[in-house]
Parts: sequence; C-alpha cells; structure tokens
Amino acid sequence: MAGDAIIAEELTYYYGELVAVDKISFNVAEGEILGFLGPNGAGKTTTVKMLTGQLKPRAGKATLLGMDIAKNAEKVQGEIGVCFEETNLYEQMSAVENLRLFARLFGIRQFDAEALLGRVGLAGREQDRVETYSKGMKQRLMVARSLVNQPRILFLDEPTAGLDPTSSEAIRSIILEERKRGATVFLTTHDMMEADKLSDRVAFMNQGKIVALDTPHNLKQQYGKRALKAKVTTESGELEDREIIMDTSETPVAIQKLFAQNKVVTVHSEEATLEDIFIKITGRGLTE
Amino acid sequence: MNWRIIGTLVAKDLSLFFRKKLIVALTALGLVFYLIIYFVMPSSVNENLEIGLYAPVIPPVFELVQEEGLEIEMAESEEALKEAVAEGQYIAGVVLPADIMEQFQSGQKPKIILYFTPDAPQEIKDAVEVLIRELAYLQAGQTLAIDISEEILGPDMVGMPIPPRDRLRPLLAIFIIMMEMLGLANLISEEVERHTAHALLVTPMTVIDLFVAKGITGVGLAFVQAVLFMSIVGGMSGQPLIILVALLLGAVLVTGVGFIIAAVSKDFMSVLGWGVLSFIILLIPSFSVIAPGTITGWVKIFPSYYLVDTVHRAANFGSGWGDVGVNLLILLGFSLAILWIGITVLRRKFQ
Repeated sequence: MAGDAIIAEELTYYYGELVAVDKISFNVAEGEILGFLGPNGAGKTTTVKMLTGQLKPRAGKATLLGMDIAKNAEKVQGEIGVCFEETNLYEQMSAVENLRLFARLFGIRQFDAEALLGRVGLAGREQDRVETYSKGMKQRLMVARSLVNQPRILFLDEPTAGLDPTSSEAIRSIILEERKRGATVFLTTHDMMEADKLSDRVAFMNQGKIVALDTPHNLKQQYGKRALKAKVTTESGELEDREIIMDTSETPVAIQKLFAQNKVVTVHSEEATLEDIFIKITGRGLTE
Repeated sequence: MNWRIIGTLVAKDLSLFFRKKLIVALTALGLVFYLIIYFVMPSSVNENLEIGLYAPVIPPVFELVQEEGLEIEMAESEEALKEAVAEGQYIAGVVLPADIMEQFQSGQKPKIILYFTPDAPQEIKDAVEVLIRELAYLQAGQTLAIDISEEILGPDMVGMPIPPRDRLRPLLAIFIIMMEMLGLANLISEEVERHTAHALLVTPMTVIDLFVAKGITGVGLAFVQAVLFMSIVGGMSGQPLIILVALLLGAVLVTGVGFIIAAVSKDFMSVLGWGVLSFIILLIPSFSVIAPGTITGWVKIFPSYYLVDTVHRAANFGSGWGDVGVNLLILLGFSLAILWIGITVLRRKFQ
C-alpha cells in the first residue's frame, strides 16, 4: 500500500483575529487525487499556501513526502508543482522561455520545453510571447509550468475556472495522466462535476474546518438520496414532475403506483450531487 | 543563498529590462542626454574681470592691474562704453575725467563714473568700486593704512576653478544612479502586482535569493551606467578607485530606496509618484556642488550628500582616501541601513 504524500496535523492559521484555518487534519496517499472543495473564504487557499511553504502554520504541522514543510521548505518545493488560480506568467517572455526559467530554478539541465508544451496543446505557439495568448492557452501554460520538475505532488488551484470545454478537458486529461505517472494531486475547485469525475476523495471545507472527507461515492451514500424522477401526463393533459425516493421500504409500492395511476412520459434515476451534499452538511452553497 | 538561482533571476530580470523598449530607450537617451549636457557646458573658467575704460588721459597705475587678473579695455567714447556695458561685453564701465591727473596733483577728488548692467551682482559693484579706490590711492601716492589677512574656511580651492561642466559631473552621475532606482522599484512592484513572485516562491528559491538577485540587478544597472558616464567624461582619471567605491555605495543606497518604493507602491503610477519624491529629496545635496553657498550644513542629513560630495571632491579636486574616507564610511552606514529597511519592508509585502 502506498504511503502518505501529505499529512496535515492540526494545521492552523489566523490573520489577526480571523481564524482562516482551524486545526484541520487529513492525509493524502501517494498517487491519490484529493478534491478540496469549499466556498470562497473557507480557508482553501490558506491551506494550500501552508502546504506549499508560502505561509508558516501558526500551529500544527504539515508533512509532505516525509518532510516537515516548515523546516524543509526548499527541499519540499523541489518536489512539488503549483498551478495558481490567477495567471502569473512572465507575459513578455515566450512559453518556452517561461518554462526554461523555471526549469533552471529547479536545477534541471536537460529539459524539453517543446515536448511539454505539446502535451498541453501549445505546439506551434512555443516561441510566441505569452501576452498574445488567450486565457485558456495561458492556463494550459500554467499547468505545464507546474509540471516542469515532474512533481511528486501537484497542487492545482481552480485549474479549469473560466475555460472553454476544450481547454478544460485538456487539463483534466493531464491531471489523470499525472496520477497515472504516480503523482499525488491536490485539486482545489468549485466545479463539483470536475471534482466528482477526477477525485479519489473529496474534502469539504467550511469556515476553516474540514466538515467531510471521503470518496464521492461514500459521501453520496451517506448524505445523498437516490431518487426516481418522472414526468407524467395528468388528466387535464398537463405535464407534471414526480419524485420517488429510492432505497426505502415504500419505494417498490410507490413505483407500482406511479405506473398504474399515471401516464408516464419519461423516467430516470438521479443521484445527489456533491453540491447537494455540501449544502446538506453546511447549510450553504459552494459558490456563496 | 543559492547562487545558481540568483544568477538565473538576474539573467531573467536583465532580459526583461532590455525587452521594455520604453525603459531601454529612456535609459539610453538619458545617458546620451547627460553626455551632451556635459560636453556643451563650458570647459574652462574665465577668471579675468573685463572692465571697459573711457579716459582721455590714462593714469599709469591702470596699466599695472592687467597682470592681476583684470583686463581693462579702452573705449572710444563714453557713449560707446555705455553701449558695450549694456550689451554685457564688460562687467563694468569706468569713465575718468580728462583732467584726472591735474586733480590728483592738486589734491582734489576726481569724479569717476561707474557703469553696470541692471543685473550686476552687488559683490561685483563693490569689488569694482574698491578696485577704483585702490587705484586712486596708488596713483595719488598714498597707501591704505591697514593690514589685510585672509582666513580660509573649508578646503582652500583658490586657484582651482572648476569649469561648469565638471561641476555638473557628479550631479549627472548621481542622476543616472537614481534613474535606476525607479527601474528597480518598477521591476519588483510588477513582480508583486502580477503575482509572478508567488510562482517563484514555490520553487526551491528563498525570499533572500529573490532580494539578492533584485539587489544585484539594481546595483549592477545603476553602477555600470554611472561608471560608463564618468569614464567618458573623464571623471575617473584622478581617483578612480574612490569614485568606483562611491558609485558602488551610491548604487547600494538607491537599491535600498528602490526596495522601499517597491514595498509602498501598488502599481506603476505609485512607483512613479514615490520615485519622483525620493528623487527630489536625494538630489537636494547636489545643489551644494552646483551653487556653493546656497545650501548650508543641514544638507548633511541627506545620505546622498556623502555621495555627491565624495564624487565632487575626488573627481574635481583629486581628494584622496584621507579626505573623503569619513564621507565614504558615513555613506556605507547609510546605504546598509537603508538597504536593511528596504529588505524588511519588502519582505513583509512578500509575505
């Protein structure tokens, strides 16, 4: 069984009186993708900053790849890749120059920038200045930059926010490829579908605390409800929605009645979404 | 500190600096402009006082003063003399009466008329009047019954007149150094504003590596340009080592100020605002070189005074380590203190 790539123990950070991260503890196994979900101001970015050595925890400890990040920041940073939410590229440099700069900072001598750019779909534009790129292209370059050192842990902060479906899909493919390579992925996102699709486990963060942490399937089992959604035609000829909660003792009878007493037009089963579960747990939406 | 990382960052910063066409053009044009200013300024000082004289009879004593830095030229008429003075050809015009020798012999007081331009300084008027009285005494055969003694306060620079362009030389060199203060502050401010600093700080690079790299870039750009300028204008010929040390310390000083400006600025406009303010403050001591006597001792509270004064004295008077050593030590202290303050406030911003 793989060891833990990230271990957070009672991790705490506060800005003055405001507690941004409140004694959170979790672990992420090597090769696992952890979706880190929560509304704005929940403490996600502060947590990432502590895990990547940008902030020193006020209390608690973060161990990455067996090293305490507070004590071995530079060593750990040599093994991680970070893709930020905001675009922070050197726009007057080309894509190749951006990647080569970071390769040199990581001490990598033999580096094939063109190959990496090809991987993120930027072949043919390698020598163009970044300022001429579209938002999607910049985001793909940011992902490429986070892969320069073939990181053992990859931190991705909203990597597909505001992107077109093609760019989003390209980035999702890269995330899965990185997992296949053996990298651990710490994925911060607002996109529930994305988190559901990519993550082995998801953590819900609210008001500085982790309120739930499990696989999407288990969370849905535990907090969600499966339902049968149907559209039926009433006697007056109008369409009406009907919902039957599944997995209860009354479910079979309810289904029988639905078909016996109504003219069913469409019927399909529906699972709870992660957003539904988040609202159920915290009483607030993820985009609040 | 990781010198491989620092070297990479310096190369990156220089590359970005030279890609900013506007800044490169301003830097190059600035350097050329300063050189032009230097070379169009007068390269020598005319120490002679040129006085116009109209005298139907010239007393013999007036011919003696030609050897004492006075040039007395004869005018054809009183009207011609007045016209020449009005045009600035002479600093003063003197009209002697036709019977001056007879009046001297009979013990009478001859009436001598002096003409000056309206903007002639009072000092010149007084000097010419004293000169004429002296000559009159000499001609009359009497001497002044006083002893004159001189006391020189500060370095005795009599006999060492500085041409205007050499007087301007330290000012221009310091101008160049301070221009880079703005460039450096803008470079750092952009790094924060565009969040590229965040990307750098999640690599094995430390904040100290970043500051050292920025410092090297800032000091290097300022120092190289100032040295280049001083070499072209001949400022390095007398005391090159002292000038190099002074300019290097000056570059460290403006790097510290550049760090402070970057820490308090949010964008290019605020860099410009704080930069110009710092620029003016640091430039004040230069006026003591351009116009000696206009600024008194209070100017020594500005750290740039010790840079200006050192460069001025070393380049223009060949002052040695013994003369400017204290200046350099004070400049070193100021530079390190301001650099430390700059690093401290900038570090807070990065965190």
